[in-house]
Amino acid sequence: MLISLAWKNVWRNKKRSIIILTAIAIGLGSGLFASAVMYGMWDATVNTSINRDLGHIQIHTPDFQKDALITKDIPDYSKAITILQDEPNVVGVADRTILEGMASSATSSAGVKIVAVNPTAEKTISDLYQNIVAGQYLDVEKANAIIIGKTLAEKLDLHLNSKIVLSFQGLDESIMYNAYRIIGIFDTESSIFDGVNVFIRQNELFSLLESPPFVHEIVVRLNTIKNLEPAMAKFQIDLPALKVESWKELAPELSLMYDMLTLYLNIFLGIILFALLFGITNTTLMAVMDRIREFGVLMAVGMKRKRLVGLIMLETIALSISGGAVGILLGVILTQIFATTGINLAFLAKGLSSLGVSSMLCPSLPFSTYPTLTGMIIVTAVLSAIAPARKAIKLNPSSAIRTY
Amino acid sequence: MSLIELKKISKIYHETKVPVTALREISLSIEKGDFAALVGPSGSGKTTALNIIGGLDTPTSGEVFIEEHNLADLKSEELINFRLHHIGFVFQAYNLIPVFTARENVEFIMLLQKMPKAERTRRAAELLTAVGLNDRIDSRPTELSGGQQQRVAVARALASRPSFVLADEPTANLDSTSALGLLQIMETLNHDYEMTFIFSTHDPRVIKRAHRVITLEDGRVVSDAININAHDD
Repeated sequence: MLISLAWKNVWRNKKRSIIILTAIAIGLGSGLFASAVMYGMWDATVNTSINRDLGHIQIHTPDFQKDALITKDIPDYSKAITILQDEPNVVGVADRTILEGMASSATSSAGVKIVAVNPTAEKTISDLYQNIVAGQYLDVEKANAIIIGKTLAEKLDLHLNSKIVLSFQGLDESIMYNAYRIIGIFDTESSIFDGVNVFIRQNELFSLLESPPFVHEIVVRLNTIKNLEPAMAKFQIDLPALKVESWKELAPELSLMYDMLTLYLNIFLGIILFALLFGITNTTLMAVMDRIREFGVLMAVGMKRKRLVGLIMLETIALSISGGAVGILLGVILTQIFATTGINLAFLAKGLSSLGVSSMLCPSLPFSTYPTLTGMIIVTAVLSAIAPARKAIKLNPSSAIRTY
Repeated sequence: MSLIELKKISKIYHETKVPVTALREISLSIEKGDFAALVGPSGSGKTTALNIIGGLDTPTSGEVFIEEHNLADLKSEELINFRLHHIGFVFQAYNLIPVFTARENVEFIMLLQKMPKAERTRRAAELLTAVGLNDRIDSRPTELSGGQQQRVAVARALASRPSFVLADEPTANLDSTSALGLLQIMETLNHDYEMTFIFSTHDPRVIKRAHRVITLEDGRVVSDAININAHDD
């Protein structure tokens, strides 16, 4: 009955309530949509990284990431691949041989990461082949084929069919050189990636080194990111001698970016709610001032002060939650509309590319935003009710009843 | 001991530069079943006396005993609780909760007493029937006439099963018919249930029907008489 009274009281002055409710709705709706755009940007960055080269899970020897030596290959890697492929949630597994080296053209040279791949397997875990903007991917029969990024091509003044020389440490610790022909140039969302990665075929590398196959990295792709944690747990048990890492560990900057983004957006929404707090306080205070006599009567007939405070709190919470609900709905609708159509930031593409961010954003909001925001709205409502409640409980019933 | 005992009550207001003495050492006893009117000209101290009896105001000196409880011994929250369980109030301006129906207004007091829902509903219907509003139970105050609103206020005052009802100028805003109807209801409740009513009034129609008439002037009780001529019109 107290809740019913609070709700009815909210609508006693419809115009006043609708004005503050609209302010709350617009403030929160806009805040949520802005948050959704930021989360969408993060989602795009993560998905781009996962789809491009990271995969969901990677497996290395425990100390490979530390010094990336050619000798730190995965022992009995084919057995590990079989174990990974047997997991039902795995949709792709690819092994890579990775070398640190130099790429040289006729005019310049640059440090590169040479990734030797099995093109067929690689296509099950990476969409790099879809980012070829000139020439072809590695799955064609051309000797000494290489694909490089657009950024590196521009840096070394290379073009399709140009010759490029790679130098790297061989298995016997000698420096090896080999010339390759550029059969494809890729252009991904990240100019950093495009500037340091070159891809060659594994079998040609093994022939050059006169070595049996050896692998430094196994990349796993799952059917959905939701299965990451159980898959990680299983692989860590099944492959105890190897280091099993998720994309979050492999790209800690992305994980940190998410945490920072969440913090920043909570602060952003907190600032919006803090500004709204004054409006809600003003509205509730006006509602209390209008009902001084009624509060006097309520106290006279036996309503305790804490119940009176409760009533004012409930009214403020009802008002704020109503505005918050409309604001959340507004935010969700805007997010859904733009999630379908996308937001094209082509005019910022170059700058975003240097950050590894796609220029096509699809806003999205993690579910955890809603309970967090609801909690923040309730806290705001309670804080807003303090001043009006203090005003009400200080009333003297006999003089309040005489108020007109 | 009497239901209500006022012992040498004085009340001085300091709200203005010059202190105003509203009551001057009045002593009074109200017995259970009284149907008493506090009468006197404006500023004689009627409302102040009612406020002090109702625990809405504190005396500057003197003591108030209600059913042997000294109100001065009760802390603020205890006093609110005491009012909830022992005193019913009827105000001149009705003062119903405008967003509630007649039934909800009556039920609300019982909610404060933590009475179960079913009992609240039953008793609210009973009381509204007793004041002749069984057909207006679900009407809001704005849909009721002044007389009907005041009858809801009487039902609300009785809802908590109080020891007595204080009514401040209950008929001041009512036309003759409504005023007489209200008085009839109050008298019936007084007669049938021995409910004690104390009301302040200027209204000669009310004074004529009071069983006991206490006259105040300049904050003093100048007469306290049984109205042997009290009668129904």
